[in-house]
Amino acid sequence: MSTLTDTLALAASGMQAQAQRLRHVSENIANADTPGYHRKFIDFRPAAIAGDAFGQESGVMPGPVRLDRGELPRIYDPGHILADETGHYDGSNVDLMVEIADAREAQRSYEANLRMFDQARQMSQSLIGLLRR
Amino acid sequence: MQVSASLAARSYGAARPLTSPDAEAAGSPATAGARLAEDFAQVLQRAETTAQQAMTGDADPHALVASLSEAQLAVETAVAVRDKVVEAYLEILRMPV
Repeated sequence: MSTLTDTLALAASGMQAQAQRLRHVSENIANADTPGYHRKFIDFRPAAIAGDAFGQESGVMPGPVRLDRGELPRIYDPGHILADETGHYDGSNVDLMVEIADAREAQRSYEANLRMFDQARQMSQSLIGLLRR
Repeated sequence: MQVSASLAARSYGAARPLTSPDAEAAGSPATAGARLAEDFAQVLQRAETTAQQAMTGDADPHALVASLSEAQLAVETAVAVRDKVVEAYLEILRMPV
């Protein structure tokens, strides 16, 4: 029983991490046209969950937010308020294609964790259901 | 005759603690039942706290769903065990005396 409840907690930690990832993707997309914006991303690291029967770091948690240090594109717009003497200003290094792919990956991983959650719950329910016959 | 009876009584008294049931042992049904009830109450308490936190915006919905599922499974387990106990009791009541 406790391994199945561990599975529930692990799947919940995975879903939480993917939701956090999607939050940063949406932040990037919202700032795609902000001048001087660096793309933000997070990576995952193992973490302990509450009541883990094995006493090790088996869950997942999002790590600290990191900035993409890639070069900002130079956009030519002499009328822009941030334009320098050559008529260029720094755009953001958000690539919408990359962000959409990242969002889709987060969605698929979330669904996988959701299925795991549902399966563990069904297994526990059918185990308890044996007592009712 | 007198000596052998007292000897028998003494050795019986010495052997008695070995065979008497230990109430503090982990396998004892009373303590196991008490621990089970305590765990059950803890699970329900945790679900309640998480639900309150989620309503006030402190906890995220994933933790809410996880603890509510855990509470649902705990309640289903308790109901199934209770049904079994009641069934056994009724079985005993139906026994012809």
